[in-house]
Amino acid sequence: MTSGSARPDAAPPGLDVGPFLTGPPGPFPRVPLSDVLERRWLHYAFITTDEQQALIANLATLGAEDGGEPIRTTVLLAYHREHGWACSQWHAYLPREPWTSFRSPGPPTTFPRRPDFELQSLAGTPAVALHLTSTSTPAPAGVSHFHRTHWKRWQAQPGVLAAGRWDDGMVPARETVAVGYHERVHGRWAWPEMGGWVFGFCNQLGDRLDGPPSWAVVFALLQPMDEARDHTAMVMVWRRGRMVFFVPRRALRVSVAGQLARDRVVTAPSLAPLLGTFATAPIPAVLCIDGYQGGDWIQLRFRCRDAARLVVPSETSLQPFSVHEVIGDMEVRLRMNGSSQLFASPGIVEFAGGAAERSWSALR
Amino acid sequence: MHSGRLRYGAPLRPAGLEGEAISIESAADLLARTVEALVRRAPSIAADAARELGSIMLALHFGDGTHATLQARHNSLMVTRALAQGPVECFFDDRSLLSLYDLERRPSQILEQGAFDVRGTAEQVLAVWRTFQLLAQRAAGLRSVQALWLAYRRSLGLDVAVGTGGSGPDPGPLGEVPDAAGLLRGTEPGAARSASVATTRVLWDRRAGEGWWTLEGPRDADLFDIMETCRRLAADEILTRIPQRHPVDSLYRLMREYPARGGKGLRPTLCIATCGAFGGHSEDAVRIAAAVEMFHNAFLIHDDIEDESLNRRGKGCLHMEHGIPLAVNAGDGLNLLAVETVLSNIDRLGLARTLALIDEIIRMCRESIEGQAIELGWIRRRHIPRRDADYIHMVTKKTGWYTCRSPCRLGAIAAGHTRPRELDLLGNVFGQVGIAFQIQDDILNLVGEEDLYGKEPLGDLLEGKRTLMLIHLMRSVSKRECRELLGWLGRPRSERTLAESRHVLRRMERSGSIEYARAVAARHAARGARLFEETLGFIPQSEDKAILGQVIHYVNTRLL
Repeated sequence: MTSGSARPDAAPPGLDVGPFLTGPPGPFPRVPLSDVLERRWLHYAFITTDEQQALIANLATLGAEDGGEPIRTTVLLAYHREHGWACSQWHAYLPREPWTSFRSPGPPTTFPRRPDFELQSLAGTPAVALHLTSTSTPAPAGVSHFHRTHWKRWQAQPGVLAAGRWDDGMVPARETVAVGYHERVHGRWAWPEMGGWVFGFCNQLGDRLDGPPSWAVVFALLQPMDEARDHTAMVMVWRRGRMVFFVPRRALRVSVAGQLARDRVVTAPSLAPLLGTFATAPIPAVLCIDGYQGGDWIQLRFRCRDAARLVVPSETSLQPFSVHEVIGDMEVRLRMNGSSQLFASPGIVEFAGGAAERSWSALR
Repeated sequence: MHSGRLRYGAPLRPAGLEGEAISIESAADLLARTVEALVRRAPSIAADAARELGSIMLALHFGDGTHATLQARHNSLMVTRALAQGPVECFFDDRSLLSLYDLERRPSQILEQGAFDVRGTAEQVLAVWRTFQLLAQRAAGLRSVQALWLAYRRSLGLDVAVGTGGSGPDPGPLGEVPDAAGLLRGTEPGAARSASVATTRVLWDRRAGEGWWTLEGPRDADLFDIMETCRRLAADEILTRIPQRHPVDSLYRLMREYPARGGKGLRPTLCIATCGAFGGHSEDAVRIAAAVEMFHNAFLIHDDIEDESLNRRGKGCLHMEHGIPLAVNAGDGLNLLAVETVLSNIDRLGLARTLALIDEIIRMCRESIEGQAIELGWIRRRHIPRRDADYIHMVTKKTGWYTCRSPCRLGAIAAGHTRPRELDLLGNVFGQVGIAFQIQDDILNLVGEEDLYGKEPLGDLLEGKRTLMLIHLMRSVSKRECRELLGWLGRPRSERTLAESRHVLRRMERSGSIEYARAVAARHAARGARLFEETLGFIPQSEDKAILGQVIHYVNTRLL
């Protein structure tokens, strides 16, 4: 893996490997994508242990029209606490299929081991070459069925460790350790009908950096445009790599307030602002989630700090779908089996939506 | 430019909230000062309350024995600190008065027998109730209003309610939605905007919810602070761009004079807020806002010479202080610098957006010059149009474009939006606002406070400007008086005296010309407000959009 501004000397991006494989048959079957609305992806998000840097990567396969070849998109978004965001275009260079715990339980153990996760902007940076380690059990797969024929299935796993070379182009490249989140998604939907979602996670580091986090929290709120009965919400808590608490939607309350200053939000990829991209609703400044099960309960408080808006073209509407990757500080209060916990750690939350804003109705 | 200089992202200046001592004399004084603060800082709240109140004259009696009258006037509210008879009467004691402000407790928890009384027909009482409800819900979020009510509360020795912060009671089936707004108030200022007016939005409450991206209701911003911030940003940019080189005394110092004298900041506010409303970064609009201000200052220098004006922004006009040749040259210098500033957007916004900005700037300048030519032509030919439409056409070109339409359109372009249909919709709204602005400007020249307005009193009459009041007067007086007025207006400025101008002003007052102009301005502002609601739905709700809404109401309630 090269770094700096050198362009990778390899096959053209997106042609050297096939569609991304998201796991074994069953809930995420290895079947051809049936039409332009069907899609699947692997998602990776990490925050370095010194909390200075973060990255978000998405490797997607999108169904093609008229039975053609599926389309692959690869994007790498890097964050530095002082310097902000750097992003590849939608075709970051991916030399080989990345490791995913959903496809094989552990990375290959032969040495010298190649990085499991290599991704590089064609501009040279951002670029990462990381060894990944799974430390925690995956969550059960979540499913949302909406708009009669649309569905989304996802499965999350917190506590993924990443170690290796990290070059965001904003500070000198370095070897570093990060902890994060991995997710696979498969579904068929149009973006306007999808509505939007709020996904997020945080990992509270343990004493050892090579083990699972002391605590990890993952939450999801999926809100299709249809009736509230199609909405899905959940909060999950891991203790030292094992999932110990699951809060379903009927026991959850979610609220937001304020708005993150527009100047804390950058639009990515960098070409997106040139394409007449519509404004979206402001991102909330704080997010609060309360959940309970019997006498156990959890309170999440997330303060947004910086955000990057990934602009995803919509196949069926003029309005793009916007995925805001938001870095911030998470505070978790927890009461389980009679004992209380309080911890704080950086987290990443996605505020996604906006492909069907009512704005267009005014112009039609 | 770096983000540290940013405008509304910065914490709001806590006007009087901490430190500054505010003295409230009485309950009537509290109400009057609250309404004054609203009219000045958040005119859209005053306008909405005025709409609810309608034509009702509300007599207010307070527990401390003071009285006031509240009524709507020209899309705004007016309070008179005196006992008045009205069809609806309200009595508040101190506790019930404070319940208007204290949103954390329900009025039923505060009110006691005899603490509050209202009399009138059911329909009118309900209108009054809606007015107070609107004022309580929206005005209570403004810091300047909070400061007034806090001071009053303290003067009565009452406790100040303190929020519980982010961690509420333990969650459970009987719990409540978490208090996100409370958490926000404990967040580091600067990262989030509008902490003082934020309310908790429920995304999910066990069985139902709404997406985070759905539009919020209207929010209010402190327009006064924001205009000052935007004005300062543009002025800093201008002063930075004027070269530090020779000839200083005969050119560059002169070019700094008008920008350094201040101003209202209307154009930079429109430009920056529109950019934000369209999803752009406010920083992206600062340069183009500065360029518009440079053109504006250049126009003013030349305009003052053409009109033979004496004062500008509280001091002598540039040509009065430095002579006409140097003033003309300084105006040319500002025009050149403005073009350079527009072009400097290439490195920040790219070529396509900069070309679109240039296109809009050319249109703006052409319209302004044509409008100025129309008015100067009327004066030279001693012509006074009879129809309002001619005046509206002239001011739309002379002022409307570069004061309101173009700053908005330029802000949208800076945010990357160049679709003609959207720009036209935006222009239509603020075209109405520009007309209202110019009429109000002309009114202030006649009846405004000189210290605030900054120009010589009755300057427009002395200069023979064709204002709506003059056009109305000419239509209202007899043929003989009309001939007299035309003869007076035909004289050179040096032969028209202040006493004669005052005489013309009295005639205008007698003929109702000033009230007529106020009504026309209010009508255009109201039309702008209606178009804003009906046609700009494609702009998502945000604080920036709320600022644009405030500006519409500001233009015909402004005092300077």
